Amino acid sequence: MTKVKICGLMEEQHVEAAREADAIGFVFAPSKRRVSIERASELAKLVPVSTEKIGVFVNASLEEIEETVEKVPLTMVQLHGDEPDELVRAIKVPVIQAFSIRHKEDIQRLESSAADFVLVDAPGTEYRGGSGHVFDWSLLERAEIEASRLILAGGLNAENVEAAVIQTAPYMVDVSSGVETDGRKDEVKIQEFIRQAKGDSMQQTVEKTGFFGKYGGQFVPETLMKAVKELEDAYMEAKDDPAFKQEYHHYLSEYVGREQPLTFAKRLTDAWGGPKVYLKREDLNHTGAHKINNAIGQALLAMRMGKRKIVAETGAGQHGVATATICALFDLECVIFMGEEDIKRQQLNVFRMKLLGAKVESVTKGSSTLKDAVNEALRYWVTNVEDTHYLIGSALGPHPFPTMVRDFQSVIGEETKRQIVQHEGRLPDTILACVGGGSNAIGMFYPFLKDESVRLIGVEASGEGLDTEKHAATMTKGTEGVLHGAFMKLLQTDSGQVLEAHSISAGLDYPGIGPEHAYLADIGRVEYESITDKEALEAVVSFSRLEGIIPALESAHAIAQAEKTAKTMSEDEILVICVSGRGDKDMATYAERLEGLA
Amino acid sequence: MNRLKLLKEQDAKAFVAYIMAGDGGLEKLSEQVLYLQKAGVTAIEIGIPFSDPVADGPTIEAAGNRALKAGVTLDKVLKEMASWTFEVEVPLLIMTYLNPVISFGVERFAKECKKARVSGVIIPDLPYEHRQLAHTFLKKEDVALIQLVTLTTTDKRLEAILQEAEGFVYAVTVTGITGARDQISEDVRAFTRKVREKSPVPVYAGFGISKVQHVDMLREDVDGFIVGSAIVEAFYNQTIEEIEPLIQAVTAPHSV
Repeated sequence: MTKVKICGLMEEQHVEAAREADAIGFVFAPSKRRVSIERASELAKLVPVSTEKIGVFVNASLEEIEETVEKVPLTMVQLHGDEPDELVRAIKVPVIQAFSIRHKEDIQRLESSAADFVLVDAPGTEYRGGSGHVFDWSLLERAEIEASRLILAGGLNAENVEAAVIQTAPYMVDVSSGVETDGRKDEVKIQEFIRQAKGDSMQQTVEKTGFFGKYGGQFVPETLMKAVKELEDAYMEAKDDPAFKQEYHHYLSEYVGREQPLTFAKRLTDAWGGPKVYLKREDLNHTGAHKINNAIGQALLAMRMGKRKIVAETGAGQHGVATATICALFDLECVIFMGEEDIKRQQLNVFRMKLLGAKVESVTKGSSTLKDAVNEALRYWVTNVEDTHYLIGSALGPHPFPTMVRDFQSVIGEETKRQIVQHEGRLPDTILACVGGGSNAIGMFYPFLKDESVRLIGVEASGEGLDTEKHAATMTKGTEGVLHGAFMKLLQTDSGQVLEAHSISAGLDYPGIGPEHAYLADIGRVEYESITDKEALEAVVSFSRLEGIIPALESAHAIAQAEKTAKTMSEDEILVICVSGRGDKDMATYAERLEGLA
Repeated sequence: MNRLKLLKEQDAKAFVAYIMAGDGGLEKLSEQVLYLQKAGVTAIEIGIPFSDPVADGPTIEAAGNRALKAGVTLDKVLKEMASWTFEVEVPLLIMTYLNPVISFGVERFAKECKKARVSGVIIPDLPYEHRQLAHTFLKKEDVALIQLVTLTTTDKRLEAILQEAEGFVYAVTVTGITGARDQISEDVRAFTRKVREKSPVPVYAGFGISKVQHVDMLREDVDGFIVGSAIVEAFYNQTIEEIEPLIQAVTAPHSV
């Protein structure tokens, strides 16, 4: 679907009005809409994280552009002058190159552009950078330009944009004067333009705020909408507040014990006979897994919003323990919902939560596992929404949860990226992480998404096998649907009833997958594989004995797949495994399932 | 013409009865509809069972699980309704979570609703922001998409929602899930009054309505009542005749 860019913004209320746009533009070239870097930087704080921030320049130097990109910060650059190809190629962020279209000859110039995107406009008058006049769209019909690179501008407004989209099918439409009244931006016109450009159908609904491609959204009962919106606003504001970031990192280092090492696994490397294997040691975090990274972030946010009651769900109990821990630390009231089945499997963690002062509520509905615990936590939230924060444990749920959880977990990937460059002087070739809802995986992958040389592999649980009914392989076997507030991939029946998932690992048996993962699978950026209960258990034994690290069952899925993947790699390659947690919590399962171990 | 458009003209208060389709077997559905329309209800809301009904309390969830166990699906319910040969005298509504609709296909859902003489649809986990997902198709078939407003709905949202309201507005009278309650909080009156002042369509109160005193408390501030858990429970316990006084209390002409 066509994206929308609102260009030449100068005032807060106009940036707010453009919230549903996909991109906004700041003009740094001479123009009546010119803004300073400082001003743009202030305005950029109001822009949703998923929105592109584009700077418009005319014949600026590389230094000038780079400084502006960094300081605002900008996510894209748009060039309206006679910039040479060398400059276009030297800019690190994606580049849009603008062309004025008068004749057919002008089309040929844009066909050979070195930029990622080309913007076509009617010729400017007083200043370069567009005049607000319409050019003959039919000129574009025969252009050898992929629609996915084309941005249409020039005289667009709410009345003609729909026709323009139909005729030229561009990647994006760009408007400035078309949403102004008397030379100043107009909130009503901005919103009307976006509405007209995006149309009114299903496909279009599904791409607004809080979506990763078509996945995500806020599919929750009306009672929760206020809380969800408040959380969205609070998070958008907090994430750009240096004091908030500082506090979050303070607790990560002083309380959780970060940063965690990226350990070179020598014996594993030798045993597998392939790439050099590194382990990201989330098992060393206080409480024993990555879950606490997110629990700290969300608890700080809840307190910032004035909420001192926390409700959470837990599967394996790791998120429950992390939440109970943080609630003890910050003196917050804490209720944890946990499926009865999981309570049986994870008795140690249940006791830990109680010891920490949390109330653990047993859920006996449905399959009595993670999915049902989320249902009960949501019901509790609906009933106590005014003073309670729902501290969701994975990259799931309504927007902003998937984005927020990802951001809080991204510390995993950020550290890894820095560390691997220190160790090896380059990025790894392959990174693996296990996926239930997908929070450790998205936190590990996110900082590498734009590094296309890095192969990313998410590992699901296939339980007793993909050909049985007892698995949790959402990506392999799932179909599209809505669960727990988001449009994602789900294990479900033909009539849309959500199925029970199965895995030996309580943390992976969720019948859905985070919306961003579903999107990354669709675009092919991340591959998803699956590992059976049996394979995971075998990996637990070999990994414990080779490296002296007893992994959590969840992490063992990533390790088992890493062994398979390593077989296809060579000695000069580098592979990283996210060891999301340690195996203490699984000791009862290990003792039972590995009985007779010699 | 969509039957819901006639609702505002009525003087008496409306009584909307919720039942879970297929609780006790799908063959029970027509019996229950006939019973309720004879008992004088204004409209009937037919619930579709779902595996993860997060907006519902234990009574409706349990009924849904029984219906799922009996093999009830959205498809079967709509086919059953389309096959009815008796005269349906009151508007019929479908209340379903979004996932069964997506699985069924939204466009197909709208068309089958029309065939089944459904006047309106309630989808509790499809908020106003995402309504286009279903609204475009439902509109084409002249099936109303009933909007919910709650105690936590901000004034700005309330106005936006009411502006596009069709059929009636479902005013959720508790901050919580469905289910019978002893008390209804005082601020509910202020809320329903506010909604009613601004609403172009009738305002019906639902969630937690199970007693004559709830009705008495809100009577002046709403156009009708939606009763769910109490009816589901009564059908299940075969004590539905005990609900009749509640229906009478709502629909009987009332002098103040």
